Amino acid sequence: MFRVLLILWVAIGVIPFPASADHSPKIQIVGSTTVLPIASRAAERFEKFKKIEKFKSSHRLRILVNAGGSGVGIHSVARGRSDIGMASREISPSERKRFEGSHLKVHTVGVDAVACVISSEVYDAGIRDLTRQEIRDIYLGKIRNWSEVGGPDRKIVVVDKERHRGTRHVFMSFIFGNPTAKTPGTILVTGSNNEEQTKIAQSDSAIGMLSYAWVNDEVRSIGIRDKKNIVNPTRETIRKGNYPIVRNLSFITAGEPNGEVKAFLEYLKSPEGQQVVEESGYIPFT
Amino acid sequence: MKNESHGVMLVFAGLNLIFLCCAGGLFFFLIFESYPILKLHGFDFWLGQDWWVGETYGALPMLYGSTLVTALACLLVLPLALAVAIFISEFLTSTSRRCVKAVLELLAGVPGIVYGLLGVSFLSLWIKDIFGLLDGNTLATAGCLLAIMILPTVLTLSEDAMRAGPAEYREIALGLGLSKWQMATGVVLPQALPGIMGAVLLGIGRAMGETIAVMLVVGSLDRIPDPWFNIFSSAQTIPSKLGREAAESIGEGTHWSALMALGLTLFIMVLLINFLGNRFLKRRSIS
Repeated sequence: MFRVLLILWVAIGVIPFPASADHSPKIQIVGSTTVLPIASRAAERFEKFKKIEKFKSSHRLRILVNAGGSGVGIHSVARGRSDIGMASREISPSERKRFEGSHLKVHTVGVDAVACVISSEVYDAGIRDLTRQEIRDIYLGKIRNWSEVGGPDRKIVVVDKERHRGTRHVFMSFIFGNPTAKTPGTILVTGSNNEEQTKIAQSDSAIGMLSYAWVNDEVRSIGIRDKKNIVNPTRETIRKGNYPIVRNLSFITAGEPNGEVKAFLEYLKSPEGQQVVEESGYIPFT
Repeated sequence: MKNESHGVMLVFAGLNLIFLCCAGGLFFFLIFESYPILKLHGFDFWLGQDWWVGETYGALPMLYGSTLVTALACLLVLPLALAVAIFISEFLTSTSRRCVKAVLELLAGVPGIVYGLLGVSFLSLWIKDIFGLLDGNTLATAGCLLAIMILPTVLTLSEDAMRAGPAEYREIALGLGLSKWQMATGVVLPQALPGIMGAVLLGIGRAMGETIAVMLVVGSLDRIPDPWFNIFSSAQTIPSKLGREAAESIGEGTHWSALMALGLTLFIMVLLINFLGNRFLKRRSIS
């Protein structure tokens, strides 16, 4: 028995691993979880598209998409650890300075809004909109109970994001005028859109920030109120620019793209690619 | 013949040297990488309570979270592991014992992410409902999850240690008229103490270093709970902090240096605990 196992073990070690011998062209994409659905959908179609267009079966392009957040995306493309970075925010001045030598180039493919979201229980209890000042006070810990803004008598679970996340940069820029604002009222810190969505859905009194495409029945978006004027995030208000917290979704390369990377980016900007953006729940960039 | 064994010993010594170099190299790498931040903040790095990337780096909340979560896991695991280990080693027949052990060893190999996802989907909600909390992502949740994670390891190794005691001792104890229970607690347990200690140290090592499972349920808030013993509040541990922020700053800048200093801190903490554990054992065996 032991001998059989030993032989098996050695045999497994000796057989060449198919993946390691595969030298087909490869594009690595890393970054924002907001842009990720676009990238993975487009990658799937682009691979098929390429197969028909140019390549015979011997030369298959592989596109690997990984999450991490906008900060990670910008950092990894600038340092050559990936071919394309995804970002759901602008490259910050400090990043521009730090990665000056990498000549980062931004290719915008879509537009998205950052919605202020709350647990559906709070939404059902009557909270439909908040002012900027109210959201700011909630994140500062000055308002701690929903009853203070006309909601049920429940403490607020204030959900924040990791500081390098694109969604947080955009949201905090609007609320505080400072992308890296400090928020002493925070109760939970989350990372990806998925993680935040799950934690807000699990809670019955949470507030947070999410990409518009992640809003659902459990996690409801609310309007931003300015005096009497309420703007809800909808396709219409985002497209027209009425909703105040919008941002560009971008792919970033170090220098001018070429070869496969260039072809992929051109595909994203083509009508087929823009269709993918729309299917992912975002507004095409035209 | 003598020459041959000499050669084998040389090979073994060489392998040993490789391990030593790895551990030593890691240690010096961490010191080297964390030097900039320690030069900047000095000892205040471990006393500071604020961690704002680009401004100031204070490791106390993470240090505190790691310690508390590990202590909590140990506190929960130890009584349970000992009780069950005694039961398996002294009261089960050898067939059922083998079955139970096989299952335990299988559980000990389940990766952290699996426990983490179960923690997010069930444990955190249960803890929230049972204790009537505002939110289920707390130190207590992380502690419970770690306890569940390290229980199989601690349990099966403790049981091995108990089993390893000489059979004559048991026979003599029973022959002297002790009950099975008296034999287990009075003869087997003291004999097995060094082995149990080793099992617990291994468990602590895993608990302290666990990243993803803790990251998903601890709340990731870099703040010491208020009051400090409030385990039902979210906090942050060292590995979870590294997991959340390392990818953003790999290899450069003060931020990276601060993260490496956190790694160094964790390294030293594990070393310290192992050292203290061994000291404790030595002292016992002398007396």
